[in-house]
Parts: sequence; structure tokens; C-alpha cells
Amino acid sequence: MLEKSTIFDRLTLFLSIPIFLVIWEAISRAEIVNPVLFPPPSLVAVALYKWAVDGSLFLDLWMSLSRVIVGFVSGALAGVVIGILTGRYRLFSNLLTPLFQLLRPIPPIAFVPIVILWFGLSELGKWFLVFWGVFFTVWIAAHLGVQKVDETLIRAAQCLGTPDKKMLREVLFPASLPYIFVGLRTAVSISFYTLVAAELAGTFSGIAYRIDIAQQNLQVGQTIGGLVILGIVSAVADRGFGALSKRLVWWG
Amino acid sequence: MSAINQTATDIGPQTARSHQGNITIQDLSIVFGSGRSSFVAIENISLDITSGEFICIIGPSGCGKSTVLNAIAGFTHPATGQVLVDGQPVQKPGGDRGMVFQQPSLFPWKTVLSNVAHGPLMAGRSKQAALAIARDFLQIVGLANFENNYPMTLSGGMQQRVAIARALANYPRVLLMDEPFGALDAQTRFMMQENLLRLWEEFRITVIFVTHDIDEALLLGDRVIVMSAGPGQVIEDIRVDFERPRDADLLMDTRFLILKKKCFSLIKKESLLAFEQQKKSSIQKAGKHN
Repeated sequence: MLEKSTIFDRLTLFLSIPIFLVIWEAISRAEIVNPVLFPPPSLVAVALYKWAVDGSLFLDLWMSLSRVIVGFVSGALAGVVIGILTGRYRLFSNLLTPLFQLLRPIPPIAFVPIVILWFGLSELGKWFLVFWGVFFTVWIAAHLGVQKVDETLIRAAQCLGTPDKKMLREVLFPASLPYIFVGLRTAVSISFYTLVAAELAGTFSGIAYRIDIAQQNLQVGQTIGGLVILGIVSAVADRGFGALSKRLVWWG
Repeated sequence: MSAINQTATDIGPQTARSHQGNITIQDLSIVFGSGRSSFVAIENISLDITSGEFICIIGPSGCGKSTVLNAIAGFTHPATGQVLVDGQPVQKPGGDRGMVFQQPSLFPWKTVLSNVAHGPLMAGRSKQAALAIARDFLQIVGLANFENNYPMTLSGGMQQRVAIARALANYPRVLLMDEPFGALDAQTRFMMQENLLRLWEEFRITVIFVTHDIDEALLLGDRVIVMSAGPGQVIEDIRVDFERPRDADLLMDTRFLILKKKCFSLIKKESLLAFEQQKKSSIQKAGKHN
């Protein structure tokens, strides 16, 4: 595939987004498409600037991020702990795996109506939806990861005198971390999907909420600006998490 | 230099274990599975292994060589008979029986030093003491300069040396080796065999070494146990009394070649028998399906 990076490579890489923006600007300005529904990037930038200047962008961003963080962290912790239990102990697996395999394929978005009944428009409902999306993804990764630990590694540890009660901490958990981190990284993207569903379902702030409101007011610049923000934030989160996991589980 | 002196003081008192490592296998049979699908892996094996002996087990593939090791390690349980280590029946795996596998099976998230220190730490030694022991054993296997490396940055032979150091760091009564050099290239394997002999001559620990390589068995062992296939039984217990220290020249020695020929014909006969058995049972199975 791609071999060594030349100056030409770096230049074209750097130009990818600017070229796209210029074409978009030209098409919109030339009114090849309806500029009201498809405003040029310059107008989107103006809309973003206004959104930032009145301070609501940062509030929206903070509300969205806090929902993602609370839902992700709680879902990931529960997923890892329960995944290791079901992956390792038959009792937990028998009791929980059939139930989870039934609940897991239901798209988290389908829970929006019932979540509104249960939690109203409160933050708890948003956290719950993100938690729900993250939990099953991380659970299945931890469940399979702990089962895939090389049997010889466990035997080697036993021959070195590792007692059964230390096996989880000393061997099973670290050995399944590469699998768990794959699940966690997938869950980062999923937490943003569910965030959007949660905010569209009814709230008073947040990036996806603002996209929805701007659309109703035909502020198409801000609607597209919101998409740009979502794109940047989730791409940074994904890349950041990828870099973090490379440092934490370098052997995987 | 201080490291070498320290080696002597740290390891010295422990070699008091040299009278330990007597292993008695009595009428051992091991069966896998149950009911109609059960399979007798080894049948009525009896062996007496004296402290400090180097025992090699050879036999056709599938003869249960590794099963014997696993029974001593405590991974598989006897259907009949028992395994005694210094008079105590084996119940479950423990740090007193070190094992080296065909794959190095190092903990990839730990440095070479932490890998070797794992056993002493699990045995309840302080972190400082465990690291000191680990450094001594890395020195002994010639990898002192690699203590901060992660296993995957080392070659296969180096990883296997770490695995040997890691097993020895627990001062086990017996070192169980399951085709430890089988995955290495010929040159590396040869170097590893010589290193292992030097280590063993220094420690005089009981070693039980499973291999399918007759040269390897005769070069290393005091005794070579030849096993038959399906179910595994001991068919020959050959005393190998070439003088030590041994080296590669032994491979050309007439006495060596005579023993090699003997082992080869035993294994060949057994392999053919096993092949016939497999053929028969597959014909029977095919017959059932018709």
C-alpha cells in the first residue's frame, strides 16, 4: 500500500480538507445548489463564531461531553467488571450471558421513548442511554477477552506459584487488556451515537440539541456547524483514545 | 563482579535442596474425557527418579510424553496410581515444580526482570529480594543486559532463556521441560542445549525433559525413557552413562550412535504400530457410518 512519505505525500495530506472546503465554497457561491439549504463554509464559520461568542457553544459542548464522559466511564467500568466475571465464572455466565445476548442487539436508540418515561428530560436519562450503549460493547469485549487468554500463560503462572486468588489480577486481567481496549475504543464512537439520540429526544442544551433547534429555525449554518463540532470532537476522542491505548497496552 | 559474589551467597544456601526432587510415579494411568468418548492417554506408568537426575522422555507423537509432565506439574489428575514428589502426592500446580513450555509463555506486559521476579514475589519474598534473585538468574542465563527489555523485543532463544531463569528463580525441586527447544532453529537449539547442561551441572536439580529429538535426549539425559503410543507406556528405560561434561563431539561417538540406533528402531516400531491403530480405528469409524 502506502510506502515512505514524500514531500508530495505530506502536501496532499495537508491539502485534503482545504480543497474540499474550496470546492464546497465555489459550488455554494455559484448557486449550483440552493445556498440557503447548503450554505458555503464561510457562512458556517460565521455561524460557529457567533455561537462561540455568545458563550452557548461552550455550555453546549460541556453538557454533551459531560454526558459522554459520565455514560462512558460508568458503562466501561461495569462492562469490564461484569465481562471478566461472566468470562471467568460459570455461575455469572449462566445467569447473565443469555440475558445480555438478548438485550445487546437492541439498538440503544430504541430505548429513547422508555427512557423519557422513566427519567423525564433529566440528565440521568442521557447518562443512562450512553451507559447502555457503552456497557454491552465493553462487556462482550471483556467477556471474550478473558476467555481468550492463552491457557499456557495461566499454566506458567501456576507453575510459578501464583495462587488462584491472585490469578485474576496478575494474569487474566492484564492478558485480556488488549481485547478490552478494542471494545473500549469502539464504545467511544458508540457513546457519541447514543449521545445524539439522547439529546434529540429532549433536553435544553448540548451540541445535538443545538443542531435540532437551529434546524427548526432554518439556521442552516449553525446546523452544519454543529455537525462539524460533533465530527471534530468524536474524531479527537477516537484518535486520543487510540493513542492512549497504544501507550497503555503496547504489547497488544 | 559484586553480582557474581552475590549470586554465590544468595543461591548457595538454597542448593541445600539438592537432596530434594525425588520423584516416584506409581502405576499412573490418565484418562481424558468420559464414557464412550473417553481416551486412555497413559497406562500403568511407574518410574523412580532420583534427586539431581536428568531424565529425557522420548516417544512417537501422541504417546503421552507431555501428559506425564502435566501429571507431575499437577495439571492433569490420575485415573489410577499417583505421583509423589519427595514423598508428597501431587494435588495441584505449585511453585516447587518449575515448568518450561515449548512456547516461552512470558508475561508480555512485564519486563524481563519482572517476569523472572514473579515467582519469588508470589512465594512471599520482598520486592527487593525478588528483584535481587531475578538479577542473579538473568546473569546466569547471560541476559543481565536485557533486564529492562520487554519479552517481544527478544529473539525466541533469548525468550526461552528468560523462561528458564524464571522457572529456576523459584528454586524448584524439579524442572519440567516440555519440548522447550522444539520451536528454535538448529543453531540456537544447539547453543541452548549446551547452556542447559552447564546450568544443570551447576545446580544439579532434577530435570525431566520431553523431546521428540533422539540426539537431544541422548546428549542431555542420564536416562532416556522411551514410551509407546496408544495408550502411552514405558517400553525402555535406557541408562546413558557418557562422561560429563558433554559436548557436540559426542554426537559422532560410536557408543552414541549405537544407542541412537536402538532408540530409533524402538520409536520406529512404535510409530508404525500407532499408525496401524489409527488406520484401524478410522476404518472402524467409517464402517459405523455406513
